[in-house]
Order: sequence, then C-alpha cells, then structure tokens
Amino acid sequence: MSDEILKVENLSTTFKTSAGEVKAVEKVSFSVRRGEVLGIVGESGSGKTAAMLSVMGLTGENCNVKADSMTFMGENLTPGKIKNLRGDKISMIFQDPMTSLNPVLSAGWQLKEILKQHKWRGNIHERVTEMMTRVGIVPAEERIRHYPHEFSGGQRQRLMIAMSVLCGPELLIADEPTTALDVTVQAQILGLLREIREASGMSMILITHDLGIIAGEADRVIVMYGGHIMEEGTVREIFKSPSHPYTVGLLRSVPKPDKPRERLIPIEGQPPDLLNPPKGCPFVKRCAEAMKICLHNKPEELSLSDTHKYSCWKGMKK
Amino acid sequence: MLKVEGLTKYFETPSGRIHSVDGVSFTINKGETLGLVGESGCGKSTTARTIIRLYEPDAGKIIFNGHDITHITQREMLTFRKKIQMIFQDPYASLNPRMTAGEIIREPMTIHKIPKDEHSSRVNHLLKLVGLNSEQAGRYPHEFSGGQRQRIGIARALAAEPELIICDEPVSALDVSIQAQIVNMLEDLQKSLGLTYLFIAHDLSMVKHISTRIAVMYLGSVVEIAQSDELYNRPLHPYTVSLLSSVPIPDPEKATQKHIIPLKGEIPSAINPPSGCKFHTRCPKAKPECRSVSPKLEDKGNGHFCACPFA
Repeated sequence: MSDEILKVENLSTTFKTSAGEVKAVEKVSFSVRRGEVLGIVGESGSGKTAAMLSVMGLTGENCNVKADSMTFMGENLTPGKIKNLRGDKISMIFQDPMTSLNPVLSAGWQLKEILKQHKWRGNIHERVTEMMTRVGIVPAEERIRHYPHEFSGGQRQRLMIAMSVLCGPELLIADEPTTALDVTVQAQILGLLREIREASGMSMILITHDLGIIAGEADRVIVMYGGHIMEEGTVREIFKSPSHPYTVGLLRSVPKPDKPRERLIPIEGQPPDLLNPPKGCPFVKRCAEAMKICLHNKPEELSLSDTHKYSCWKGMKK
Repeated sequence: MLKVEGLTKYFETPSGRIHSVDGVSFTINKGETLGLVGESGCGKSTTARTIIRLYEPDAGKIIFNGHDITHITQREMLTFRKKIQMIFQDPYASLNPRMTAGEIIREPMTIHKIPKDEHSSRVNHLLKLVGLNSEQAGRYPHEFSGGQRQRIGIARALAAEPELIICDEPVSALDVSIQAQIVNMLEDLQKSLGLTYLFIAHDLSMVKHISTRIAVMYLGSVVEIAQSDELYNRPLHPYTVSLLSSVPIPDPEKATQKHIIPLKGEIPSAINPPSGCKFHTRCPKAKPECRSVSPKLEDKGNGHFCACPFA
C-alpha cells in the first residue's frame, strides 16, 4: 500500500448563496502521508475548512463538490464509503467544543454511541473509560455520567478528542482545535494530540491560522488564500524560505515574541471577495509585487524542490 | 495618568459571590501602553469596565489625572468618559447595524456637546485618520469588512478626543494580516495624538509587541508587572513563567527546542478561590506557607513587581 493515506486531486467546492455562487475551494490537490502532520494555514474564507468538509462529505445541500479523485488508503472516497469511514478511520474535531457536544446527553452516552454506530466488538464501557482516562478526564467512572455543561472548555475539547480517537482512526482532521482555548490549555491539548499520535502512528491534518502552532506541530504545510493553494512545503521550507508573496507577507505580519520589537509589516488591503474573485491570482489585489499578467491569468505551480511548490507569476518570470 | 488602588469587584450569583477583580493595583503613565494579560475569567475585562464605571467598584480607588472618580455620580462621570474611551473586541457586535458609519462616529460628539457645525468636518477627518475615506460615511456596518469595522470603532473612540483608550481585545477577532494593520495604526495614532492605552488581550505575542509595560492577572489579582521586554526575558512569577512558555513561537527550530512548563489541572473557581496565594493549587514551586499567606506585589528592582516571595 502506498505511503499516502489520503490523496486529493483537483478538488473544487462551490456554495450556492442568494448573492451568487461562492467558489470556496478551487482545484486544490494535496496528500497526507502515514504518521505525518499536515498543517493548513489560511485566513477566514481561504477555503481550508470547506476543503476538509468536502473530503469528509459534510458539506450541506447548497454545496457542489467536484474532484478528479479522492482516495483514502488506496480506495476511492465515494459518498457511501466516507459515511462508513467517518468517525471510524477518519475523524474530525472542531474549533468550538461547546457546540460540538449535545447538551442533553451525558458524556458517556455520546462516546458509547460512536462505538455502537461503528459496531465495536470489545467491551464498550471499558473502551470509553479507557479513552477518557487517556485524555485526562478522571475519575472516568464518575465523569462518564456528567453532562457537557459540567466540563470546562479545555475538558470539553479533551472529550471531543476522546470521541474522535475512540475507534483508532488513521487520520484525524483537527480544525482550529485550540482557537477557543487559553494558551496554557492550548499547550495541554496540543501535547495530548502529540502523545496520541506518537502512540498510534495516526496522521493528522491541522487547520489553524496560528503560525506559531504550525511551526511547532506540522511536518508539512499548505498555505491557502481565496480558495487556492498558494504554497506548499516542509515546515522548514515555508518558514525559512517562503516564496509566495502571500506567505512572505503573512510571516512578516505576526509579532515574533523571541526577537526585539520591530514594526509589523501588514498585508495591505481587505480579504478577498469570494463572490467576485479576481480572474488571475487570488492574491493580486493585495500583492505588492503584482504584475499585469497576475490580473488576468492564473499562475501555474512551480517546484523549488520535491516538497516545495508555489504558484506565482513572479517566479515564472525568473 | 491613571492610578488604580485595591480595585475590587464582586458579582453576586445564586451559587455564591464571584471575586472577579480582587484588590488590583497599577498605574498607567501618560503616553505609555500598559498591557493587561491573563486567561479567560481572570478579570481583565471586568477591571477595564470597572475603571470606566460601567460596573460600580466594591472597594478600592480609581484616580484619573489626580481626580478620584471611584464614587462620583454618573453625571459627573460624563466629563471623564470623554477623556477615557473604549474599543471593543467584536467589530460586529459593537456597532449599531442601523446607523451609518458617519452617524456612529458623530454620536460621541453629540453626547459630549461638541458644536454641531464642526461635526461633519470632524467625521471626515476621523475617517481619514483611521484609513477610510469620507465617501464611506454613508455606509452601514454590514458593508464593511471586519478590519474596516474595527477602524470605525477606533474613529468613534477618537471622536470624543480622549486621553486614555481602553482597548479590550481589539484585534483578536481579525485575520492575522489585518491585525498588523490595526496594531500599526494604533501605534501611529498614539504617537500623533499623544494617547495612552490600556491594552487587554490574551495573545501574549501581540501584547508584548505593543506594550511598554505588562501586568499579568490570575484569578482576579495582578501577579506580576514589569517592562515588556523584562517580563519576557526574565519572568519571575511561576504563573508568568508557565504562561510564557506556552506561547507558540513562529519558528520551527525554536518551537521544537522550546520547553513548555505545563500547568497542572484546571483554573479554580472564582466563587471559592484558593486561600493564601491563589496560584498555589497549580504552582510547581508551591510551599506549605503559600496556602495561608496571601502574597503582595513586591519590588524586585527595575520597576519589576511580583507577587511571589520565592521568585
């Protein structure tokens, strides 16, 4: 079997809205290898969440998902197939642990339900208490009866993690898993996810807007903007030799707490309008290095190494 | 410019009294930025709101420009409100959706009785000051992006010509590339208008960037105050040490070398805060006496104050 457990080629996702068609994701290709952490960075509306929901088959009725191919562990991800894999071999955790749990069902009930759905063969109660203990919710025998409101924000995210890894998934998609949490709790949760990965060899897609988290957790990084992948590379390539003007701008705009204070260099302009995207490069309106060609033609992907790629006319001219 | 002494604010709830702000003291000097950091529920926003008397303080003193404003009437407070303005976190919830940008910026001028014939020119001037243009005065909040709305919120705060602006998480709701725009603008405005800021945020990297001095809060109390670089390079209080070690650094080499000092357990309830030092239940260096003795902020030199006798 190939080393790539998830492979997506030319994924496009559009949403129909009353104001028109929104192209949330356009021709995005990526893959995740066994045991690796793929970080996806991008701002609101960059398409990072929409791309993942498309893979998971969790987009709504008003949405159209197209892809040349999507395979998971070598098998085609058809809508029927993903339904069985979801929560079992691929699972997902979300930003807001407050709204991801049902408030009128106990934690134990919600955890057990997953095992029942996926026809768990072992002792369900034992498995649930084992996982609760592993994510640090103790004493599990007592906490299993508690309802979501009886847990703190950090504990709820721990519960979500316990839920997502109950069936021993091969891939966990974590969508801003710590954005709603305080920084000391964030460190605890990221540490817990690392422990689980090290013990099980699970792969992870980590979606975040926090470049610090990406630097600490990811092996490879995808940078998205306006529904497109702008740059892709190993974490070192992205941070040490960023090549797309957007990546460069993003890295410059965040304060570096470990270095002496310097004035921040923002990316000027406003986030892209997905209803009327530019014909050419999605970043053209905010790019300091934009040329005429960027307005009308989409740049093609350039390779800087086997792992480092970016899409920009500036590089093609060189 | 602002001196807060022993400021205390309780909230009564059916399950007991919440000690939201418990004897907080600090000063803010003219022209500086004091950063106020701490995790959710530590009382940083309540401190800010009590300072401008949106909440009535239960104990302590608030002294602004030499005037004790702790217990003056709301009517007397009006003249001070003109001098102390606030910028809020959520640029979606803090602007009235049924007022145009121009009307929003004009409202403080009406309240603070600035002559009517000056309003229009001042609105245009303020819009320019925050990087918008005068044609945008007739538009409604929903026609602006998040960053632009925050600019309107800043223009509104500036409309009353304040001396002190309390910025309560002013960039947390914005995208990373937009955050830098707003922070740079706040820095420029501070220089050109001689403003003083109380900057509240949970993003420690951003607070370090913008602040002259930083105060760290835990469960309603200030545990450490120091110059911004000093606090980062030489944190003394065990809570600050742990907090700073948890901040992700955008550099893959440093991030993997970094040693995080995790905090044990969960933050205790503010209804029944621990006795003595409130941090003793989670402190890696706690000693038996920490349970009974409540530590005071001590001067450790260089304007560095820390509420831990063992630091």
